[in-house]
Amino acid sequence: MRGWMLAGVRRSPGPLIGTVVASAAAAALTVAALSVAIADTSAPAGRLAGASVVVAGDTSLHVTVGHGDDARQSLPLPAYRGLSAGLAGQLARVPGVAAATGESGFPGGVVRPGDVDLVAVTAKPGVSPGVLAGRIRAALHGGRGYTIATGPARGDVADLTAAVERSDGQVLGAALIPPIVTISLFVLAATTGLAVSLRRRRFALLRTVGATRGQVRRAILAELAVCGVAGGALGWLPGVALGGLGVHALAAHQMLPADSAAWRSPWLLLVACGVSVIVAVLSGQIAARRAGRTSPAQALRETVAEGTWPSPVRILLGLGAAGGAGTLMAFTFGQKSAAGQLALALPLLLTCMVAVALLGPVLVAFAAWLARPARAVGGPSARLALAAISAQPRRTASAVIPVALAVALVGSVYFADASIAHATAAQAGSTVTADRVISGPGLDAGALRQVRALPGVRAAAGVAPVSVAATDPDLEPVYGEAVSDGPLNRVLDLGVTSGSLGALRPGQIAVSALEAAPGAMGVHVGSRLTVYLPDGTPYRATVSALYTRSLASGDVLIPASAVDGHTGAAPGFAQVLVSGGTAGGLAALAAGHPGWHVASRSVANAAAERAAAQDGFANNLILGLVAALAAVALVNTLAVATVERRRALRLLGRVGASRGQVAAAFGWHALFVTVTGLVAGAAAGAVTLVAVTKAATGSWVPFIPLAPAAGLVLGVGALVAGAVMIPFYAMSRREPALAAG
Amino acid sequence: MELTDVTKRYGRRRRGVPALDRVSLSFGAGSFTAVLGVSGSGKSTLLQCAAGLERPSAGTVRLCGTDLAGLSQRRQAVLRRQRVGFVFQDLNLLPELTVEENIALPLRLDHRRAGRADIELAAARVGLGGGQLRRRPAELSGGQQQRVAIARALITRPEVIFADEPTGALDPHTAVGVLRLLREAADGTTVVIVTHDPQVTRFCDRAVFLHDGRVDRVLPDPEPAVVARVLHELGERS
Repeated sequence: MRGWMLAGVRRSPGPLIGTVVASAAAAALTVAALSVAIADTSAPAGRLAGASVVVAGDTSLHVTVGHGDDARQSLPLPAYRGLSAGLAGQLARVPGVAAATGESGFPGGVVRPGDVDLVAVTAKPGVSPGVLAGRIRAALHGGRGYTIATGPARGDVADLTAAVERSDGQVLGAALIPPIVTISLFVLAATTGLAVSLRRRRFALLRTVGATRGQVRRAILAELAVCGVAGGALGWLPGVALGGLGVHALAAHQMLPADSAAWRSPWLLLVACGVSVIVAVLSGQIAARRAGRTSPAQALRETVAEGTWPSPVRILLGLGAAGGAGTLMAFTFGQKSAAGQLALALPLLLTCMVAVALLGPVLVAFAAWLARPARAVGGPSARLALAAISAQPRRTASAVIPVALAVALVGSVYFADASIAHATAAQAGSTVTADRVISGPGLDAGALRQVRALPGVRAAAGVAPVSVAATDPDLEPVYGEAVSDGPLNRVLDLGVTSGSLGALRPGQIAVSALEAAPGAMGVHVGSRLTVYLPDGTPYRATVSALYTRSLASGDVLIPASAVDGHTGAAPGFAQVLVSGGTAGGLAALAAGHPGWHVASRSVANAAAERAAAQDGFANNLILGLVAALAAVALVNTLAVATVERRRALRLLGRVGASRGQVAAAFGWHALFVTVTGLVAGAAAGAVTLVAVTKAATGSWVPFIPLAPAAGLVLGVGALVAGAVMIPFYAMSRREPALAAG
Repeated sequence: MELTDVTKRYGRRRRGVPALDRVSLSFGAGSFTAVLGVSGSGKSTLLQCAAGLERPSAGTVRLCGTDLAGLSQRRQAVLRRQRVGFVFQDLNLLPELTVEENIALPLRLDHRRAGRADIELAAARVGLGGGQLRRRPAELSGGQQQRVAIARALITRPEVIFADEPTGALDPHTAVGVLRLLREAADGTTVVIVTHDPQVTRFCDRAVFLHDGRVDRVLPDPEPAVVARVLHELGERS
């Protein structure tokens, strides 16, 4: 009975192919992100494979932050808390235990004498691990303060990095889903809007024949639902493959445990279809409403009198969005904390994109007005193209908008990343002011003393990266460095704004200006602050200095003496920074220590700069997804819009235009779309880019390297040219009326 | 059907010449009327207002005894599919539906069963049958397409059929055939045809001439030759 509703999909799906492709892309990316977010990330039990139950000190940190339901926050710890060796004997007396042995030497293990990392318990025959774990929990008075693991959970106790990595990777996967869905909504709304507007007369005819507005709307939504299901089914397997690749890549970058496997349940097909149906139907709401409102009288008119100008409502909404973007921008820059600014970046970008999308026709009309001089240069073809653009700015806007959105999205994500990487590299490349840097194994307090004893050495300090947990204001890992006592300011230039880095004593901590800001840790010199060391031990300290150059060195500096024994590694430094002394003296010392490497300041800084520049994997992943979606939208919309100009093509042929002239007119059209889209997109993206750059680096000026910028422009140009000219040549071959030449 | 003092202005041009200027006309049940005029005389606007596709700026339109101004959009749509039929110059048919689906469309929209026999009967009345029913509109000639449109307009046994230049895209011979069919098949139904073709009036009881949005004159039982002369006069005047 409903055959009439879906006949369009079944018999002339042409205009809907774009919708299917876009919803397939949305489904594939969602499936990929989801299969990463809930990947099977259980780590192998390794040495503990023979143990029935494994007992360790609680491998997570629990901190109560503020009040309320989610006040209690947890974070996996990268180091063992350590257990007294005597615990093994106590556990051996639990009924059903065959043996309980204290084990040590795991990565992140305890180095304090007399302590073990964990206790491996084997059960007597006939006692299940679950039952035994229950008895052990009872013997430990409820097990508070312990992690008691059986089965696959033993893997996480055998390798603490697994839990840390999992939380990194899965948080990233889950965090990608909302932007993917939001951007897909944009993409699909543009594609669907066009597909519906191309068939206005069809819907107007339906209205004259007596279809109610609701029937027309439901017919369009039914079509979109079918497209969504088809897109979901098409996107499912590519999404699963992409998810597999994503898990591999994340594992390779230590953002997931090494043996992780993507979630490959058949349920993903359902998820794919569900997501793409929801996205397709949501995206079509506006288009469906508009088609329902189409005056039926239009079917009777000779020409499709589509309104030249957008409705005042659209312009008002567009101005509202632009105003909202302005307010949000002011609010973003007013945010004192970098975290607050960064959190507002995505809403800011989306608001700017909404404003550009709504005001698109106005922008096109304005750009067409600006482009009038091109008529003199481009001859009749340019005149023709501009006339078509000015006559129907709304139609042209539907081609310009996806170009602008692609530029805004890709540009702001890429150049924000580039700006941060640039600032990081610049800081990394100039933070060290020491003359020489020693790196290598066994750089401990004794080695530091030896270095300081060398003739001519004015100052020497050791540094080692450390990850602590802090509430800023949520419990999160904070990366920083453990530093030896001694005059840091003579080997490092961290841009101290208050306090002093002359020496960092136990009980003191230095914090970066970004972390210290209100809204993050909210501290100043003299404040009391608690951070949690890798094994969960709290370190209560007084803030002794604030510094600005934190991109390379991290956000906290802690005295090495406070950290030793709590990091899961032997005390020691990654680098010793030396001011003064002679190359010969250091070389002689290094000769006695195999593996030590002495580098000059410039070489060390260059190495740090390189290391900082390579650290963009997660951003590249996000960028790839965003670029893929944006490219699909762009090609989709432009190809559909070009095919729709077949009538104009035919007419031009009939009045004697040559193929070359028509090709030039289409080319001018493509050029107009590219330039207008680039400018509008750059404007929309720049707002967010400046906000992010300011938040992350403190500078108002983003770093925009020429080669990628040119690449973006050329890439967009190539996509537009392809999406316009390939359909054009395909159509023009079937138009014999076009004169040769 | 009755129009009283119907005025229609388009857009914001409140002061410009209205497309319809206080037109009053009544169409008796079962009558067959041609509305003629030169381009821009307001004849298509008249049809759209009469059919409820456009809302007049002033005046009232009564269709099938109901004042259209009092009906919601939804009620107007229901009225159209139950009691009004349409035939347009072109783009009459949904290209992705077959001939029989196009004919049955008003019934389907009305959630009514479209019986095979009914569709075949409607098609047979306009001389379509057999394999043609399963074809798509693009596979038919222009004349055949117009016949499908007439069959679709008739399927609901409407009280009024509106036709806007139904023969505009057809050659004279085919046009005459299509009009004869419409006249015969629509027996008892009120028919309003908008046209600029004098030949159409051969089949009409009455010819209404519009000029600058006003009724210029009404000719009962019009002769094509007379109609052509009047049209020529009107053309000279504008």
